[in-house]
Amino acid sequence: MPPARPERAAYRAGPKLENNRTAPTTGSHMTAFIQYTLQGLALGGFYALAALGLAVIFGVLGVVNFSHGACYMLGAVGAAVLLDATGLGFWWALPLMTIAMFLFGVLMERLLVQWLLRLDPLYNFLLTFGLTLLLVDVVKRKYGVSGLPYPLPAGLDGRITLGAVSLSTYQVFAAVFSISVCLAVWLVLTKTRVGMIVRASTEDAERSRALGINVSRWVTPVFGFGIALAGLAGVLRAPTGSVTADMGSFFIIILFAVVVIGGLGSILGAVVAGFLVGLVEAYGQGYAGRFSQVFIFMLMALVILVRPSGLFGREEAAS
Amino acid sequence: MQRTTSRQTLAVLATAVTGSLVLAACGGAGGPSSGGGKISDGKVVIGLLNDQSGVYKDLSGPNSKVAIQMAIDDYKAKYGDKAVAKDIEIVAADHQNKPDVANTKAQEMYDRDKADIILDVPTSSAALAVATQAKAKKKLFIDIGAGTTALTGAQCNKYTFHWAYDTYMLASGTGAALVEGGGKNWSIVYPDYAFGQDMTKSFTAAVERAGGTVQQKIATPFPNENFATFITKAGSSKPDVIGIMAAGGDLVNFVKQYNQAGMADKAKLAVGLMFITDIHSLGVDQFKGTTFTDAWYWNFDAQNKAWADKFKAKTNTRPSFAHAGNYSAAFNYLEAVQAAGTDKSDDIVKQLEGKKINDMFLRNGEVRAADHNVIHDVYQVKVKSKDQVKEEWDYEEVVKTIPAADAYGPANPACKMG
Amino acid sequence: MTPVPGEILEVDGLSAWYGEARVLTDVNLRVAPGEVVTLVGRNGAGKTTLLRSVMGLHRQVEGSVSWAGQVLGRSSADKRAKAGIGWVPDDRGIYATLSVQENLLLPPITSKADAWSLERVYEQFPVLQERRDFPGTKLSGGEQQMLAIARVLRTGSRLLLLDEPSEGLAPVIVQQIGDIIRQIKDQGVSVLLVEQNVKFAATVADRHYLLAQGRVVESRDNDSFQSRTSELLEYLGM
Repeated sequence: MPPARPERAAYRAGPKLENNRTAPTTGSHMTAFIQYTLQGLALGGFYALAALGLAVIFGVLGVVNFSHGACYMLGAVGAAVLLDATGLGFWWALPLMTIAMFLFGVLMERLLVQWLLRLDPLYNFLLTFGLTLLLVDVVKRKYGVSGLPYPLPAGLDGRITLGAVSLSTYQVFAAVFSISVCLAVWLVLTKTRVGMIVRASTEDAERSRALGINVSRWVTPVFGFGIALAGLAGVLRAPTGSVTADMGSFFIIILFAVVVIGGLGSILGAVVAGFLVGLVEAYGQGYAGRFSQVFIFMLMALVILVRPSGLFGREEAAS
Repeated sequence: MQRTTSRQTLAVLATAVTGSLVLAACGGAGGPSSGGGKISDGKVVIGLLNDQSGVYKDLSGPNSKVAIQMAIDDYKAKYGDKAVAKDIEIVAADHQNKPDVANTKAQEMYDRDKADIILDVPTSSAALAVATQAKAKKKLFIDIGAGTTALTGAQCNKYTFHWAYDTYMLASGTGAALVEGGGKNWSIVYPDYAFGQDMTKSFTAAVERAGGTVQQKIATPFPNENFATFITKAGSSKPDVIGIMAAGGDLVNFVKQYNQAGMADKAKLAVGLMFITDIHSLGVDQFKGTTFTDAWYWNFDAQNKAWADKFKAKTNTRPSFAHAGNYSAAFNYLEAVQAAGTDKSDDIVKQLEGKKINDMFLRNGEVRAADHNVIHDVYQVKVKSKDQVKEEWDYEEVVKTIPAADAYGPANPACKMG
Repeated sequence: MTPVPGEILEVDGLSAWYGEARVLTDVNLRVAPGEVVTLVGRNGAGKTTLLRSVMGLHRQVEGSVSWAGQVLGRSSADKRAKAGIGWVPDDRGIYATLSVQENLLLPPITSKADAWSLERVYEQFPVLQERRDFPGTKLSGGEQQMLAIARVLRTGSRLLLLDEPSEGLAPVIVQQIGDIIRQIKDQGVSVLLVEQNVKFAATVADRHYLLAQGRVVESRDNDSFQSRTSELLEYLGM
C-alpha cells in the first residue's frame, strides 16, 4: 500500500489518516491483511459452493462437466428473467432456480450424458463443452451480450463493520449461505445412508456396484444435484456480478483450478480448495494487483507437481 | 448480403461457399459492365467490420448495419436520380475483437468484396490492424468503435479517419469536469491490457492538466470478476474520485461491488468509457449519479430523438453513440462520393479533409486535416436516478456540452501523414 | 446351516477379451453348493478376469455364467450381488472415505436368513469393533482383509469370490483367514478362491482348477492335488 501523501492530511483529516500519514504502521498493515483475509474467505465460500457440484459429478459419474460454468450462468440469467417476467425476486429465485436447474440436470443426464458414460471420459467432456457453446449462444441470441440487471435483495444492501474492517452485508450473507449449503451437503453425505452410498460411489463406482449398490439409480439425481448447485451459485452471484451469457466462460476455468487443487472428485477437497483459492485471489489482489489470478494457477501447478492427484485426491495408481 | 454468422466454423464454410460462387460468377460472365460511370465496379461497397457476437455486439454489432442502411436510404432520398452512387451494398463481418481476424477480414473486404470503405471496427488493436490494411490498399477506413489515440497519432495515415471518440476526449471531458467539481485526488482502477493502459495514461494526463493528482493506479487482471479487494485498495488513499477504466462485464462487476462496498458515499465514481447499453444492462440504480463523457445521446434534442425513433422502429431498441456514429460516417462518406463524382479513395480524402459538418451526430464537427480526427462537441453526462427516468433507455442527463476544441485538444503532433 | 441343493455356479464356455487381446478361452467350471474351489495359476493366467466376469464387472465376454439356476447373461454387477454373490477383490476394496462400520453397512442385505448381524461380525472380529469409527483404510492389511470378508458375510452372500485373500499377510493372519473360510463352508456357503499360495489353498479347498494362458488345463480334487503339488506347479510355471 503506498503511503498517503502528507498534504492529504490537510485535505481531509481523520484518525485513520493520521495513521497513514508517514509510513504505514504495523496496525494499518494488519487491518489491511485482516480485511483481505475476510474478503478471501467470503469469496472462498462462494467458490467452494460452485466447485462442490463439479466434484460430486466427477466423483460419481466420472464426468468432467465443462458445462458447469454455463449452468451457473443459466442460474443467474434465469433469476434475472424470473424477476423481469414475474417480479419474483432473489428469495424466490434461490429455491426456484435451484429446482429448475436440478430438473435441467436430470434432463441433461437422461437425454445426453448417460449415452456416453461407458465411453472414454473425453466424450462427455466434449459433449458438455459443445453444450456450453450452445447454451451461451442461445442466451446471447435471446438476451444479448450486455447482460441483464439484477438488484441487491432488500435488507442486504448495507455494510457490516467490525472495528477497522468492513464487509458488505451481501458478501457476508453469500459467504454464510454458501458455507451453510456446504455444511448441509456434508451432513447429508456423512450422516445418511444416501450420503454413504454417494461417498462410496464417488470413491469407486465399480466396486460399489459389485457390492450390490445400484449406482445407476443414483447417477441421475446426483448429476441433477450437481447442476442444481451450479445454478444456485449463479443465483447467488447475480446481485453482485454481471449477469451475461459469458459470465460462466471464465468462471469455469477458476472452478477447474479449484477442483484440481482439491483433488478431482474429492468433496472435502473442493471445499478446502475453494477457500484456499479465494484467499490466494484476495491476497493476490491486495499485494500483487494484476497478477492476482496468476497465483491461483501457480498454486495449481505447485499442487500438481507435488501431489498430482490434488490435496485430497486419491492416487489413481494405488494397487 | 449478409456474409457472417456468429459461429466461426460456419463463417469459414460460408466464406468458402460464397467465395467460390463469386469466382464462378466472374468466370462465367466476365464481370459486370460498369454502369455507374466513375464508380468502381459499378457500385459502392461499404464494409462493416465489428463484433457481431461477443461483448461489444449490443453497443454496435449487427444494429450498426441497420444504421448504415438508414444512411444509404437517406442519401438516396436526398439525391434521387441525381445520386452518383446508385448501387450501394453493405457487407458485414465479425472480427471477434481479434486483431488477426480483423486483419484477414479487412483484406478480404478490400480485395474480394471490393469494399470501397470499411466502417466501425471496435477494439483498438483490431482498429490499428485495419488502418494498416487501409494504408497498404489505399482504401478508406473510418473507425467509430475503437478508442485509441494512435489512430490519429503515431499510426495515422491518409486513408484512415477516426469519427466518434477517443481516449483523450473521454479523459479530458470526465477528468476535467470532476477535478473542477472538487474531485482533486483520484484512484484509477484499470484492466491491464492496451485499452486500460491507454485510458489510464489519458486520464492521468487530463486530471493533472486540470490540477488534480492520481494517487493510485491499480492494475487488475483482464477479465476479472471479483473486485472487492481492489476496491478496498483504491479506497485506502481516501480519494475524492475513483475512476474505473474497465468495459463490458468487468465494468458491471466493478460497479456492483463498488456500490456494495459502500464506496458510493465516500468517493465519486468516474467511468472511463460507458455505452448506454451498459446502463441498460445494469440498471440506472447501480450507476446513479455516475459521471462520464458521451459522444452522443439519443434523447439530447429533437433531431437526435427523431433519428432514434426511426432506429427504434427498425431494431426495437435505442441507439448507442456507435450506431449514430456509423450512420454519420456512412452518410458523410456518400456525400463525399456525391461531391467528388467518384468513389476513388484519394478524391474522397480530398473531399473529407477539413470539412466542417453539422449533422444528427456531429455538432460543430470538423474532419481535422492534420490528423484525420473528426472532432465535435461532446457531452458531460450524469446517470439519472430511477425516479427521473421517464421511459426505457431514458438514462442520461446532459450536464454540459464540451466544445470540440476543448474535448479533443490540439491535433496530435505524433501524426505524420504520409 | 447346510448347503442348498440348487446353489450351483456354472461357467460354460466362457471367453473374455481386453480389446483385441483374448485373456480367457472356453473356460468351463463348476462350484457345487458348499464347496470351496480354487483357481491356481501364475500371474496373468486370467484368474482375476474370471472372477470379474462372474461378478459381471468384466463385460467383454462370451459364453454363459449361471448361478443358482439363473443364467446371469448381461445382468449388472449390483444385480449379481443381490442374487447372493459376494466379491472380495484382490485390493480388498476398502473405502477410504467410509468408516470401518460404514464399510460393513454399505452393501445391502441380500438374504436375511444368512446375513451376519453386526454383533456377530464384531464378535468374530473384535478388532473391527474397536476401530469401527476409523476410516476403513487406516486398518492394517490383515484387518482390511477381515473387513472385506466380513462385509460380504454381513449381506448373507451365498457364493464368495475371494481374490488372493492371503496375499502379503503374515502367516498367523493367513491361518485366521483359513479358519474363516472353513467356517463359511460349514455354513453351506460356496467359495471360489483365487490363490497363489498353493499350500494355503490346499488347507481349505475341496477342488482345484489349474489355469494357464486363459484355459483350464486340469481339474483335481484336493487329495490328488496335494500329492502332486510340485509337479503341477512346475507344469504351470509357478
